Amino acid sequence: MQLHEDKYKDLNLKIGLEIHVQLKTNQKIFCECSSDYINSPPNNNICPICTSQPGSKPMGINETALENLLKIGLFLGCKAYKKPFYIQRKHYFYPDLPSNYQRTSQPILGNGIFMGVGIWEIHIEEDPGRYDLREGKVDFNRSGVPLAEIVTAPEIKSPEYAREFLRDLLLSLEYLGVIRGESGSIRADVNISIMGGNRIEIKNVNSVKGIYKALKYEIVRQKAVLQRGGAITMETRHFDEASMITKTLRKKETVADYRYIPDPDLVPVYIGPEMLNEIESVLPEFPHAKKKRFIEEYSLGEEIVDSLISDLYLSDLFEESAKNSNPLEAGKWCATELKRRLNEKNLSVSTSKINPKHISDMVGFIERGELSVKNAKWIIEDAVDTGEEIPVLMSKKNFYQISTEDTLVRIIEKIIAENPKAVLDFKSGNQNALHFLFGKVVNETEGRAEPSKTIKLLKDKLCAVA
Amino acid sequence: MFTRDLIEDLLSKSVEEHLHNKIEEIDKRNKEINAFITLSTEEAEKSSKEIQKKINDGIQGKLSGLVISIKDNIAVSNTRMTCGSKVLENYIAPYDATVINLIKKEDGIIIGKCNMDEFACGSDGTSSYFGPTKNPRNIDYVPGGSSSGSAASVAADFSDFSIGSDTGGSIRGPASFCGVYGFKPSYGLVSRYGLSDMAMSLEGPGPFAKDTYGIALLLDVISGKDPRDTVTVQSNNSYLKIVENFKDGDIKNMNIAYAKEFFEGVDENIKNMILDKIGMLESQGAKIEEVSLPNIKYSIPIYYLVVFSEFSSAMSKFDGFKYGHYTGGQDIVEAVSNTRETSMGTEVKRRVLLGTFITMEEFKGRWYTKALKARSAIKEDFKRIFNSYDLLIGPTMPTLPWKIGEKISDPLAMYSSDILTASANLAGTCASSQPVGYVKGLPVGLQLHADSLSESKLIKGMRAVEIVCGGM
Repeated sequence: MQLHEDKYKDLNLKIGLEIHVQLKTNQKIFCECSSDYINSPPNNNICPICTSQPGSKPMGINETALENLLKIGLFLGCKAYKKPFYIQRKHYFYPDLPSNYQRTSQPILGNGIFMGVGIWEIHIEEDPGRYDLREGKVDFNRSGVPLAEIVTAPEIKSPEYAREFLRDLLLSLEYLGVIRGESGSIRADVNISIMGGNRIEIKNVNSVKGIYKALKYEIVRQKAVLQRGGAITMETRHFDEASMITKTLRKKETVADYRYIPDPDLVPVYIGPEMLNEIESVLPEFPHAKKKRFIEEYSLGEEIVDSLISDLYLSDLFEESAKNSNPLEAGKWCATELKRRLNEKNLSVSTSKINPKHISDMVGFIERGELSVKNAKWIIEDAVDTGEEIPVLMSKKNFYQISTEDTLVRIIEKIIAENPKAVLDFKSGNQNALHFLFGKVVNETEGRAEPSKTIKLLKDKLCAVA
Repeated sequence: MFTRDLIEDLLSKSVEEHLHNKIEEIDKRNKEINAFITLSTEEAEKSSKEIQKKINDGIQGKLSGLVISIKDNIAVSNTRMTCGSKVLENYIAPYDATVINLIKKEDGIIIGKCNMDEFACGSDGTSSYFGPTKNPRNIDYVPGGSSSGSAASVAADFSDFSIGSDTGGSIRGPASFCGVYGFKPSYGLVSRYGLSDMAMSLEGPGPFAKDTYGIALLLDVISGKDPRDTVTVQSNNSYLKIVENFKDGDIKNMNIAYAKEFFEGVDENIKNMILDKIGMLESQGAKIEEVSLPNIKYSIPIYYLVVFSEFSSAMSKFDGFKYGHYTGGQDIVEAVSNTRETSMGTEVKRRVLLGTFITMEEFKGRWYTKALKARSAIKEDFKRIFNSYDLLIGPTMPTLPWKIGEKISDPLAMYSSDILTASANLAGTCASSQPVGYVKGLPVGLQLHADSLSESKLIKGMRAVEIVCGGM
C-alpha cells in the first residue's frame, strides 16, 4: 500500500515519472571541459566540442558518467541490454542547444524496481546550456554535463507517494555518490492520468516540491474539467514555478517530431559482462538482498524493513545502532519516529545531526524504564535538531522516570493524604477514583512516574488504608 | 619521382624562395581560376622562415616546407572557414582540425583555404557562394567538385599538396577532372575532427598531390587514431616506404578485378583509355579478371538518401544565432527559416528539405532505415571481391569535364556523375584517382579501389599504374 493511495483510489490515479539527474563527473560527457557549471563565470568551461563549432566532433562518452549510470541502473535492479547502444540525435531548435540537436542514448538498462514502482528504462543524455530568456543570453558552461534519465512505470498512485519516491530515490543516488549535489540537479517530466481522461505530460519540473505541487494542481484541474462535462485530451503542459499551476504547452496535433537518427559521429557502445561485474562488486548491497537479510538477521517486520531500506543512510544508521541495543526496538524507532522527524524537517540522515549512538542510548533508557515512550518521541526530535547526547537531553528535559519504590511510595502517600474523598470513593468501588489519583501522581512528578509501577503501588496502598 | 626530388631540392635550396614561386603563380592566375577563398600569405611567409631555420639545423619535419592548400571546410585556427557559403562568410575557426595539427607539426606550410561547392554539396565546383572554380587545364570547363579549389590549386601549381574531403567522390572527381592524384582513405584512417559536416558516416579528409609519392607522404602524416574522432583506428604510418621499396616485379603479384558495372554508360573514349591501361598492367604480369557487383546500381539512390538525412541534421546548427549570417524574425522558428532562406544556396536548401522529409517519424522506415539496409548489401559486394582480389580497377568519372554552367539546372544529372565513386564511401573502403592521359585535351582519371584499411595495397597499385603510364 502506497502513502495516501486510498485518497485517490476512486480516481484510478496513475503517475509515471521521467527523472533527469546530473551524473557526477569531473569532465563533460563528450569533451574534456570541466563539468562545474556553477562556480565559474559564464562561458568559461567551453571548447569547440561542447559549443558545437563547425567541424568539431564528440569524443567518446565519458567513462565515469557511464559507470555512474550503470551503478544507478544496477542499484535499481535493472538489467543491462545485451546489445550495443547508439547515441541518437534528437532535433529541436532552441538557443541553449549549440547544435540544435541533443545527444541522447538508446535505453542502456531496464526492467528494474524501486519502492514497488517499476523502472522501465535508463539512458544517458547531454545537458544543454542555460538560456536567460530575459537577457537573451546563453551560458554554455552546462552544455555537455552528463544526465541520466530514469523512466518509471505509471505505478505511482498519489502525489504524496511521488514525493516520497523521489526523496528516497535522490537519497539513494546521493548515497551511491553518482549524482551532482547542486540544487536543480533533479528535473522531471511528469505523466498523469485519472479515470475518464487521457494522459497529460507536464514538462521539465525542477524540484521534488514542484513535482508534488504540479501533481496536486493537475488532479484538481482534471477533476474539475471532467465534472463540468469537459474532456481531458492528450497534451503537454508546462509547470509555472511562481504561480504553482500548469499551463498548456502544446496539443497532441502538434506533437514534436524529433527526427531521431543514430549519431554518425559516434560508434555504438557495448557494455560487456566484465564491466557489469566490476561495477556490481563495488555497489552497496542491493535493496532486495538487504531486505531479506534484515528480516532474517534482526527478525524485523516487513513494513519496518521496507521503510529502513528505502534510505540507505538510514539502514546504515540502524545497523550501527543495533550493535549496541535491541535491534527490534532500534529498527522500530529508526523506521517510524526518526524518519518522520527527518521528513518534517526536510532533512536526511546525512544532513541532520543524528548518529547511531543516539538510537542505541535511547533504546537502552527505555528498556531500563528510565525513559517513557512518550518522552522518547521528544528526545528523538531534539537529537535530530541539536545532535546533543541522549543523557544530556534527558537531564535538560528532566525526563528521567521515577521508578524507585521508596520515592513513588512517598509521593503516593502524600496524594492519598491530600485526597480523602477520592479514597472513600475508591473504597465504595468507584474505579474512576483510581484513575483520578493516578493522574494526581503523574502531575506531581511532572509525568516522570513510571506508569505500571505507580498503578501497582497505588492499588496496594489504597487497599492497605482500607 | 617528382615529389621526392622536390623535397631534396628544398633541403639544399630555399623554402622561402619555393613559397614565393607559389605566391607568384597565385598572383598570376588565381583571379581567373578562383581556387582560393582565403589566402594566408603572411602566415605562410612567417612559417617558411621558421622552417628554413629548422632545415638549416637539420631538425625539420617530414613535410619540410612543402606548400599545402586546405579545403575551406577544414578548420585552421584563427583563419576564416566559409565552407563556400554565405552562412559562414565571416566565421573565424577557433581551433585546428587534427589533420592541420599534424601537418603543422611536420612543417608543412599552409598557404590558404580552397574554394569548394557550398557545404560540399556539388560535383563540379560551381555552387560556391564565392563564385565557380575553373579547371586550370582549360578554364571553360568545370574542375569537378566538391574539393574544386584543392584539385585546381595543385593542378595550377599554386601548391604542392592539398587536403580535401571526400563524401561521395569529392576528392577523386576533381582529381580526375584536373589531372592530379587524389586519395580517399578508408573510413576511420584519417581523423574527421575539424572537418565541417556533410554526411558524417561517409566522409573524411584526404590528400591531393602530383604523384603517388606525395600521396603516401601526406597519408603518413595525417593518418592514425585520434581521441577527438571515435571512428578512427591505428595506422602503420609507413606508406612512403611502400612507394620507395616498390620493385617492377611487384606488379606480377597483383590480383586485380574490373567490374563490368563500372564501365556501363561510361564515355567511350574514357572506357577505351582505361581498358588500354588494364591491358598494359596485364602485359606486365598482373592477373586481371572480370567480376560483377550486382548491388552497385543502387549506390546513387542510397548514397543520396544517407547524404540528405545526415546533412539536414548537421545543418541544424546554422541558425544564425551564434555565428554567421542572421536575418531575424518574430520567433525562433521564423528567425531560423529567414536566416536559412537568405544565406543558403539552392542545392543546400534542397538537401536540407529532402533530408528533413526523409527523417520524419512517419517516413523514416520507408526511406532512411531501408537505405541503411541496402548500404550493407553494397558493403557485402565489396567484401566478396576483396576476399579474392587486391584491387578493383576502373574509371573515376563516367564523363569528361563539362563546360561551366552546363548541369547547374539539372540536379539528377549532377548526382549521376558520382556513380563510380560513391560506392566506396558507402562501403567505407579506400579508393584513389590518378591521371592516365587526355581525351580532347581534357584529363582522364583511373580509379583504384582496395579493401577497408588496405591502403598499402592501394598505394602499391597506384605506383604500378604510375610506372605503367610512364611515370618516374
